Amino acid sequence: MKRLGSLAVLCVLALAPVAARADIAKLAEDAKKEGELTWYIAHYTSEGAEDLGRGFTEMYGIKVNVVRTTAQVAYQRLLQDLKNNQTICDVFSSTDVGHYVRLKAQGRFDKYLPENAAKIVPAFRNVDPDGFYHATSAGLVTLTYNTAKVKPEEAPKKWEDLLDIKWKGKVSTGHPGFSGYVGTWVLTMKKLYGWQYFEKLEKNKPQIGRSINDTVTALNAGERQVAAGADGSTLFSAARGNPLAVSYPTDGAVLIIAPSAIMKGTKHPNAAKLFMEYLYSVEAAKINAKHFGIPLRPEVPAPPGAKPISEVKTVRPTVEEISKGIPEVIEQWRDTFGN
Amino acid sequence: MAIAAPAIDTAPPRPRRAANFDSTWILWIAIIAVLLFLVVSPFVYLVVTSFQAEDTGVFTLMNYATAYGRARYIDALLNSLKLGAAAAALAGLFAVPLAWAVARTDMPAPGLTRMLVLATFITPPYTGAVAWILLAGPNAGWLNRFYMLATGAEAGPFNIYSFTGLAIVIALYSFPYIFIFTTAALELVSSEMEDAANILGAGPWRTMRRVTLPLALPAILGGLIICFLEAIALFGSPAMIAIPARFNVVTTQLFQFFGNPVRVEVAAAYAMPLLGVTVLLVLVQRLITRRKGFVALTGKGGERRPILLGRWRWAMFGYAMIVASLAVFLPYIFLVQSAFAKAWGRGFALDNVSLDNFRFVLFEHATAAQSVINSFLYAGASATIAVFLTLGVAYIAARRLVPFGGVLGFLCVAPFVIPGVVLAIGFYAAYAPPTLALYGTALILILAFTTRFLPVGYVNASAAIRSLNPEMEEAVRVLGGSRLTALRRVVAPLLKRNLLGAWLLIFIPATRELSSAIFLYGPSTKVASVMIFDMSEEGNFERLAALALILQVLTLPLLWIGQKALGRDFMLRRNAT
Repeated sequence: MKRLGSLAVLCVLALAPVAARADIAKLAEDAKKEGELTWYIAHYTSEGAEDLGRGFTEMYGIKVNVVRTTAQVAYQRLLQDLKNNQTICDVFSSTDVGHYVRLKAQGRFDKYLPENAAKIVPAFRNVDPDGFYHATSAGLVTLTYNTAKVKPEEAPKKWEDLLDIKWKGKVSTGHPGFSGYVGTWVLTMKKLYGWQYFEKLEKNKPQIGRSINDTVTALNAGERQVAAGADGSTLFSAARGNPLAVSYPTDGAVLIIAPSAIMKGTKHPNAAKLFMEYLYSVEAAKINAKHFGIPLRPEVPAPPGAKPISEVKTVRPTVEEISKGIPEVIEQWRDTFGN
Repeated sequence: MAIAAPAIDTAPPRPRRAANFDSTWILWIAIIAVLLFLVVSPFVYLVVTSFQAEDTGVFTLMNYATAYGRARYIDALLNSLKLGAAAAALAGLFAVPLAWAVARTDMPAPGLTRMLVLATFITPPYTGAVAWILLAGPNAGWLNRFYMLATGAEAGPFNIYSFTGLAIVIALYSFPYIFIFTTAALELVSSEMEDAANILGAGPWRTMRRVTLPLALPAILGGLIICFLEAIALFGSPAMIAIPARFNVVTTQLFQFFGNPVRVEVAAAYAMPLLGVTVLLVLVQRLITRRKGFVALTGKGGERRPILLGRWRWAMFGYAMIVASLAVFLPYIFLVQSAFAKAWGRGFALDNVSLDNFRFVLFEHATAAQSVINSFLYAGASATIAVFLTLGVAYIAARRLVPFGGVLGFLCVAPFVIPGVVLAIGFYAAYAPPTLALYGTALILILAFTTRFLPVGYVNASAAIRSLNPEMEEAVRVLGGSRLTALRRVVAPLLKRNLLGAWLLIFIPATRELSSAIFLYGPSTKVASVMIFDMSEEGNFERLAALALILQVLTLPLLWIGQKALGRDFMLRRNAT
């Protein structure tokens, strides 16, 4: 019986990829007729997003209109589209999971289970038990610093180190009202240390950009020395010779699992589905790793210099906490920091 | 129809005229309809929307309660007023001495100063803001770095991310308005009055203070008001500078109301004070400049000699060059450096030079190149519509072809009092949702740009039409041609140069319009200004600088054409209305 069972499993395993490939080939054929798709994307830097879009075009000959903004701006534009009954966005990729909870409740998504979903690292599977949205990228908010100005032993080691008076006028952050990464980070800090954390941070007069990737610019330019930044964009920039390094906080880097979903009523349903498959492909994982994102496919090694995710202590608020908490912390942030 | 036919039969006295006017009347009615559509309806929608509940559309005052219910929102309003006042005062400080020196004294190279003011004028405020972030970032800004290098200090004195920083940047790119008004007025002051003061023993400075400046005062005040209005209506510079500086102004707050959730109704309510202040001040400005009729400005009489400044002429020239450095030289040096740099903070090293930013913007970015094309297409369409529409209206008004032609003229200049952001919200409320469902289309941007620049077109067109002698058209009519023939075959050809000039005066600013575009564009209709704004989110100043420079370079040939057609100062005349 047991043997029979495993034989059956073997058969399925042997056949599944073939079946999937056939499906994807059919999907690709239908998708090519649609010719293009529009992707609202907040996961990556502009470069990373354009690279991923181009990879898709090269594979299938389907044009991707990459609309890269911060998460809240992407959501704002999507809401305006919806309010005016326009379906411009085909695939929506935000870094604020709360957006998906709300949009799903309003029935704004098309349900689609990518064939490739079973092939990704198990930790990232099944973020939505109902299958409306799927984790398509993951990254960390960590401490980052400018190595030309700060020695590794002086660099902050835990989140509360940013409150040290020696960093007055030297801290850089993004804005939770724009960036989903920053929003999740703020929420986590509030959970760990209470809102006092930000009242104290305010005394250090951080420079507040909009995107979390703005911290990379602020550090590179020497405008600021330490930051709460994203590991991916920081390491990518460091790999190109900029004086940057990541310090994984001992009290936990904030893990962001960012989903993507297909919008209901999309004019390019097949291209959108194919794109979801693509985001789970080895090719996309390679491009992602090139930009120092955490590859979703186990076949693709972690980017050089980045700690494998298994060795990093991470913290992560629940989906419910994010969904309810981020709008709150945006308001609190504006009250504390003035805008 | 059956009723209308006998009505015509029973009106026998002027059958021939009715027949003659037939086709033209249709055109006039069409123009009125278009103006109602472009100007009146968005405005009405704006006001109505501010009193409507979000989903039900029921009358409510809640939007006003929400819009003014938080201290932060009120602070933003007050910040805008303070910002406007500070920017206008600073702009006056930059502009008035320059205007006086150029118009009335023997300061060397006045042509150069004029040219540099023009260069300032064609620099979009947000481009200037980005350049100043590179110059006066508190730690990495070039001015601070030079200061630290020179003095060995730990930190530099400049901080762009502050209220003062924002006010200076806005002033630097709006002072040309005051300059234009003031030079125009000073050029009319005759030397005789100054001579009188001199004879009575006043030196050149005292004469300037007591005689010349008071005569130009109405023009200066008019310019100050325009600067104030420009400052409070600006979106790009505050968004880039005020967020890190931690304060909010009206326009950035309006943008937040378009956030999550989208609250157009609240935004409409919140836009009302901006509209109110603008209407009020434009009225004041008109009142002041209309009363400028001191005896000094009676006409051509009187001789104008430049005031001899002696050795002070070089001091004056120095001041002009300092202002030009702040507005043009320094910003462009570092914009160019940044556009060609791998990382702008690394400076002028040769290994830091690269063309990657241009390559990325032009060829690798999915939408950046398209956004420049969109900007030019939409600006071209808007300028064309606006020029012909205002030509038609100016013609009707000047030849008194319909009763209340003046009302049409008024409608054409009315958008002048509506700040771009407010206009955009009106357009959004009126035309984005069904029935017209223009959201995300190119058309809504084109129409909004057209409306925004109607006043520029109208002022030009009506001045041009007034310069035409009606006899020429009458000749056409006598020979049996219709009014339309006269317009097409006589008026338009005669005004070719004028029309081209007006077209460029609308086209150039429309290619960089941000404050109305930011609320109206869709993903496939992104324009260059919005693209630049999006790039500033990630702090991608290198690429942003590359795109901004591309936009500036593309403008230069147009400027050249404009100067060929209309003379040196054509761009500067735009707002001297």
